[in-house]
Amino acid sequence: MPKTILEVTDLKKHFKHRKGLFSSFSEQERTIPAVDGVSFYLKENETVGLVGESGCGKTTIGRTILRLENPTSGRILFDGNDITAMPADQLRPLRGQMQMIFQDLDAALNPKMRIRDILKEAITVHHQASDEEVDRRIVELLEQVNLKKSKLSNFPHELSGGEKRRVGVARVLSVGARFIVADEPTSALDVSIQAQVVNLLRDLQQRLGLSYLFISHDLRVVELISHKVAVMYLGKIVEMGLSERIAHAPRHPYTHILWSSLVEKQSKEASRCTTRPHSGVWGVFDFERPQGGCRFAPRCPVYESKGKPVVCVDSASEPRLRDIGNGHQVACHFPL
Amino acid sequence: MKNAPLLKIEDLRTYFYSKSKQAFIRSVDGVSLEIARGETLGVVGESGSGKSITALSVMGLVGGGPGVISGKIGFKTEKTRKNLLQDLDDHVKLAWDNGKIMGVDKDVVGWEKNAGRVMSGVRGKEIAMIFQNPKASLNPFTTVGSQITEAIQLHTDIKDPLQARERAIHWLSRVKIDTPRLRIDNYPYGLSGGMCQRAMIAMALACEPSLLIADEPTTGLDATIQSKITDLLAELKSELGVTTMLISHDISVISRLSDSVAVMYGGTVVEYGPARDILASTLESKHPYTSALLESIPTERHIKAKEHLRAIEGDVLDTVNIPAGCRFYARCNRVTDTIREKCERHEPDLREISPGHRARCWLYFD
Repeated sequence: MPKTILEVTDLKKHFKHRKGLFSSFSEQERTIPAVDGVSFYLKENETVGLVGESGCGKTTIGRTILRLENPTSGRILFDGNDITAMPADQLRPLRGQMQMIFQDLDAALNPKMRIRDILKEAITVHHQASDEEVDRRIVELLEQVNLKKSKLSNFPHELSGGEKRRVGVARVLSVGARFIVADEPTSALDVSIQAQVVNLLRDLQQRLGLSYLFISHDLRVVELISHKVAVMYLGKIVEMGLSERIAHAPRHPYTHILWSSLVEKQSKEASRCTTRPHSGVWGVFDFERPQGGCRFAPRCPVYESKGKPVVCVDSASEPRLRDIGNGHQVACHFPL
Repeated sequence: MKNAPLLKIEDLRTYFYSKSKQAFIRSVDGVSLEIARGETLGVVGESGSGKSITALSVMGLVGGGPGVISGKIGFKTEKTRKNLLQDLDDHVKLAWDNGKIMGVDKDVVGWEKNAGRVMSGVRGKEIAMIFQNPKASLNPFTTVGSQITEAIQLHTDIKDPLQARERAIHWLSRVKIDTPRLRIDNYPYGLSGGMCQRAMIAMALACEPSLLIADEPTTGLDATIQSKITDLLAELKSELGVTTMLISHDISVISRLSDSVAVMYGGTVVEYGPARDILASTLESKHPYTSALLESIPTERHIKAKEHLRAIEGDVLDTVNIPAGCRFYARCNRVTDTIREKCERHEPDLREISPGHRARCWLYFD
């Protein structure tokens, strides 16, 4: 039975809306609930995929778990340690074990450092090491991520997207990461290179027993790489379960729409039928929380077809994640 | 009976000079394409394969030197018929060496003047373009409405501001922006990415162009929005019959919208033909690059078996040092011993391998 490496309970991260000078006298303080009560756990050697539209709080979850942002409330257990409010000096030794692969390839690597120095910095930041040791470790890392040795003296801008991504992965491994938050690691890459990166991440997982929180909006890749998938909508997880169940037997209307949009895009037949349900509703997307009740109600086809039941918009009864068997959880009053 | 081509690109070459490398970047290196009226041509390929530069060359929007250096772009509608690269040869002198262009002497000022004359009345009016990043392509300082109205007043007979505004509202509703009467006075920051892209499409179509060039219209948008934009393009295609050149590296978008497909690699077209032949899932008679590209997309099979994706090893061709032989040789996995020598030494031509289907590969001819 694999050990639980990460456990997140009712995590919230609310950002304060910056006020202007004048409105600060009159208005109430506004907060933006980027992450609004999220709970999940991650086992060793496991990948949890996190999907949702942009702005739904995927990246914020990743950053908050690693304490790059301080959570507003909730609890984060990493490897048995409660890191929710752990002071920085105690957290430091743990940092090496939990790392992030950032979305923006170019922003993540210092443009003025050679690849060798980037890796060297990462190796020596947590441990003291002699030059020979560093060199040995660099060679080892390059082998792990399948990068040519000749690239070491290059600057980041001289590398292709795939190579930059590999350097990012090597850097994360160099500090001995066991849990990695991969934030859209393939979104800026071509399909051919994307496949290389996906293969690399899976190989590393098998060889080194890593755990990933894989954030992406590419549903196919998520389905391929993840054991479990959590679907987010406006700061909340609306459905969570084994990836094949989420993809093929979704119960939440939002998940259903997400995955069917993938199928629609591909099938040529679909282009022939011009009328499609709920196409009008789709244009509006407000990042702030709607009135109350279910967050998805204003865009929900089920809400529409059931004749707008009161329970969906009743502010006292926001649907909670409930188990519907086999570890499949859904937050909906009328699951499909 | 096939329609006469609306746009016919012949042997287009667009180079850039890299000072640090003291060499030419051969971004587009002899591309020939045709788009028949009412047809959608999909152009696929990895980044750096020259897709966007081809489109920009057609629009006459290539910045940087020397830019377009040779080729012909025939553009023929009922009203006009011209070569968009007319008199290019008078402004450019090429130095050939061993079948490769080693030196370019281009009168840039003279050419720009000439190009400006040729392109006026075509760019924006006859050929419109949708760019990759909608938020960056709209002017953040004015409302969406005034930007569309400006285009309408500039390129069509409608000069009256109120009429032009009505026209803009009509097009906004056409691209399914809800409450267009309110949205027309929004600034781009007030619109979501998908809505900005719709506004861009409205602006491009408002002048009723003969040809629409869509450069990665869905990249960078969310999955749900992507499928909505694809839906919209499909609908506009069937209703208005817009001739479109669709550039994307998303093969699912290309396969849904295109009639014919050109696969580009390293500045050349490596395969060209009807969409159903090129994107079919069978592996026979296909350029190795196309099949590798298709195989690197995760499919049901991969997901079920949790098997590895077949990645194309190596990187996109460096268009500075183009090898003597086939451009894909270094990454190709279908080289056989009988053709290895040819692949290494000689670049294959784009030749017909079945009716209407052309490929640039030694596998298919001797």
